Amino acid sequence: MSDAVEDQEIADGESDSLQKTALKKEKKHDNVGVADLEKVTDYVEEKEISSPAISDAMAVIGNKKQLENMEKAEREKELARVKIRKEDVELIMSEMMISKTVAERNLRVHRGDVVATLAALTN
Amino acid sequence: MSPSQPLPPRENTLFKRILKCYEQKQYKNGLKFAKQILCNPKYAEHGETLAMKGLTLNCLGRKDEAFDHVRRGLRNDLKSYVCWHVFGLLQRSEKKYEEAIKCYRNALKLDKDNIQILRDLSLLQIQMRDLDGYKETRYQLLVLRPTQRASWIGYAMAFHLLKDFDMALKILEEFRKTQVTVKPFDYEHSELLLYTAFVLREAEMYTELLRHLDTYEHQIVDKLFIAETRAEVNLFMCDYAATEKYYLDLLNRNPENWAYYKGLEKARRASTEEERLAIYEEQAEKFPKAHAPKRLPLNFLTGDTFRQLVDTVLRESLHKGIPPLFVTLRALYEDQWKVEVIENLVVGYVDSLQSCEKFSPQDADDTKEPPSVLLWAYGFLAQHHDFLGNTTKGLDCINTALEHTPTLIELYVIKAKIFKHAGNISEAVKCLDEAQALDTADRYINSKCAKYMLRANMTKEAEEMCAKFTREGVSAVDNLNEMQCMWFETECARAYHRSGKWGEAIKKCHEIDRHFTEIIEDQFDFHTYCMRKMTLRTYVGLLRLEDVLRQHPFYFRAAKCAIEVYLRLYDKPLADSEEDQHDSSENLNPSEIKKMRNKMRKEKKKLQQEKERQRAQQERKEQHNKARQQNDEVEGPKEEELLPDKLARPSDPLSEAIRFLKPLQMLCPNSIETHILAFEIFYRKDKLLLMLQSIKRARGIDPNHPQLHLCLIKFLRKMQEQKGALPETVSAALETATNGMFSADSLTSLNDAYLQRNGTSLPHAFAAARVMSLLDPKSREGALSLLVNFNGTLEGKDSHVCADIVEAMKSNEFGVCQEKVTEFQAKCHKLFPNAIAFGSPPANCSSNHFNSSTVINDQQPDYES
Repeated sequence: MSDAVEDQEIADGESDSLQKTALKKEKKHDNVGVADLEKVTDYVEEKEISSPAISDAMAVIGNKKQLENMEKAEREKELARVKIRKEDVELIMSEMMISKTVAERNLRVHRGDVVATLAALTN
Repeated sequence: MSPSQPLPPRENTLFKRILKCYEQKQYKNGLKFAKQILCNPKYAEHGETLAMKGLTLNCLGRKDEAFDHVRRGLRNDLKSYVCWHVFGLLQRSEKKYEEAIKCYRNALKLDKDNIQILRDLSLLQIQMRDLDGYKETRYQLLVLRPTQRASWIGYAMAFHLLKDFDMALKILEEFRKTQVTVKPFDYEHSELLLYTAFVLREAEMYTELLRHLDTYEHQIVDKLFIAETRAEVNLFMCDYAATEKYYLDLLNRNPENWAYYKGLEKARRASTEEERLAIYEEQAEKFPKAHAPKRLPLNFLTGDTFRQLVDTVLRESLHKGIPPLFVTLRALYEDQWKVEVIENLVVGYVDSLQSCEKFSPQDADDTKEPPSVLLWAYGFLAQHHDFLGNTTKGLDCINTALEHTPTLIELYVIKAKIFKHAGNISEAVKCLDEAQALDTADRYINSKCAKYMLRANMTKEAEEMCAKFTREGVSAVDNLNEMQCMWFETECARAYHRSGKWGEAIKKCHEIDRHFTEIIEDQFDFHTYCMRKMTLRTYVGLLRLEDVLRQHPFYFRAAKCAIEVYLRLYDKPLADSEEDQHDSSENLNPSEIKKMRNKMRKEKKKLQQEKERQRAQQERKEQHNKARQQNDEVEGPKEEELLPDKLARPSDPLSEAIRFLKPLQMLCPNSIETHILAFEIFYRKDKLLLMLQSIKRARGIDPNHPQLHLCLIKFLRKMQEQKGALPETVSAALETATNGMFSADSLTSLNDAYLQRNGTSLPHAFAAARVMSLLDPKSREGALSLLVNFNGTLEGKDSHVCADIVEAMKSNEFGVCQEKVTEFQAKCHKLFPNAIAFGSPPANCSSNHFNSSTVINDQQPDYES
């Protein structure tokens, strides 16, 4: 899927390049002044670019992101479902001298088995 | 403007002026405007004004007031993004980055499209390496400002750092397409193209990389990068003809780069000695002055070809008088046969030069060599013998050289090094002091001399030595700290450690730790700068360096020293009034004690004077700071002052030690010392599982390590002791984690087996003896005889190990055994006649060749570590 979008994106980019050249030329006079200013001060005008293909690129980015987020959420949900005991977390924290978040996570990964978690942490 | 507390137009204008003044650093004026709003009783508690006033105060260095105002402002207007943003900025200036991120997030909840806050947030996220968060923030910036180039670059880099190369490349390509007009020699554009190449390289997309370089070659300014990348990538892709061409081009640019030769060897697939040699001979002919094509073949040549080439190299270098000749050849000393060849050649030169001033009597050429050649040959031989551990012979050679020419500085440096290796550091200091006196303008020699002085625990003298080159008007130690001169501080810390000045030692270690923190803080400036200047390759390189910064040996040494001191302070805490001094008065006779007391009294007087001086200095400093603050120039938060007396009495030494240990565990997991230090800390904390973790990690590196053996026995013993008292889960976990790791034998038989396996090595035997004494005081006799009767053929019997053994005996680890100590020392003295740890050195080895006008402290170095 992403390949198709990419192709389209590239095509769009090429057809638009002429338009962009024109735009750039108009701005050029301004840019010289800005560049000089940059040399003497810390103040920087962000250089502007214009790319009509942005929306397409954004679409690709958006899709990829959604997929990623879903996978991540799934994994987190699974871990969150594991039941853990507070005393176990505290024991792991004190025996291995680690933070609560790390202790909890390790315990969840080992499905709440405190002995297995402790043994694994010595590796 | 805050919706909950709107200001009328007049006040609103004033508020905008405050913002402007803040941006333009006109803090005084900003405060004036804030006062004008706040003096109106209706707006005396206006949240945003209070917050801005606080921020401005912070810039004037009035931190407490600043926090007061900002907190009050926020409390009065929790719905204002300005208040949250300001609070975040304040936290940031306090270096509380996690807190600052939370504040920014709250601000964004109230105003989710605020570009300034998003930018500030992204900076903190990259600084904290919250890469996922960074990617999210950069995404929002891109959505909000798709027309700015930084939006694209930042977003692409987020993917690159997360190793999602496809996305990174796609975004970069999209951005590149918008760059239509490229000026000639446009560095920023060139850097952008090179960054793309860099990502392609890491993505291992070699075909695309080569195509990229071909397409944009005319726009890329860094030609060397193109050439090197092409050569390497073609080699990866097994295009040998192309690789060869590129490496030959590269060698024309620089015939001294060793990597190019290696590349050329691979391109020609040269495997036999002759094939490989042919490459170097070809280049040597092309570049007759190049050193690399002559030096490199020595690594792989054998037999007569080796002898011939090394003969040429030695003669040329000695003729020219190249001081680092030995250092360049030292790598060859792994091969015993090559060592013999070199020794025979140089000894031959010396004989022949002495008799007929030629390298060899058979030389057809009748021109005579200058006398300096003989001198350099002596020097080489001295280093040669020293390297092989034959210090007496080395000293003979260097003394002959010095008789020949007593004014060559290099010879004194060599001599000092031999003395150091031989275990006589005070003689070494004398030599270097002589050397630096010959050229007081040479900073290298000066530093070397200071370093050796520190090795001899002469901290005061070392400081005076360094003062010859540090800024005037400031104490040398302060200046060196300011300049982050870490070798000096590490050596100082160790010297203080050896002299039992615990507080001073820790202070130095903390100073070094702070340098590292500072280097990490300094990163901040580059997040915006590099993005703007497009130096993206270097930027990514910087980020990766900072990620592993504390891997540096400077940090390792400092952390090790700090941990050792903290362990000592845990075992034997200092009393409140106890002098932070050496407690070595136990085994001294009365006259020595008297001497020492006198010395101490003098030192105390000196100390008092020093303190007064420091107080005066402090006052001056404060005045200076005040003046500075009036200039609206403020530095970041002041660090807590490091006071040795306070540092030497930590409330929780073990957690201090752990703070130093953490980076080592993260960044130096391949060093066995890391895990042994970790073990010692956890042993004292009674954390069995963590002890086991350290042991397991150490076993992965060297299962036979002597210190590890000691740790293991201590661990098993502790486990047995605590068996009943452990929580059930912990003993179950120990059971699972040690399953099958250790045999069920008794500890004594475990130790016996260890000794059986490693009995031919002195350090291992030492460890086994310590275990014997630890397990059963009755077996001390046997342990001692194991050490004292060690056999001359044992491996690893260097002078440091022997000195450690003497120390252990003297500290009564094996019970009181003065006779045995003497016996052992006598034996070591025969092996290491020049080491003062085992007795006074023979007369001919002292440095009586110069009329010693130098003032040297009669302090004796000790050899604890």
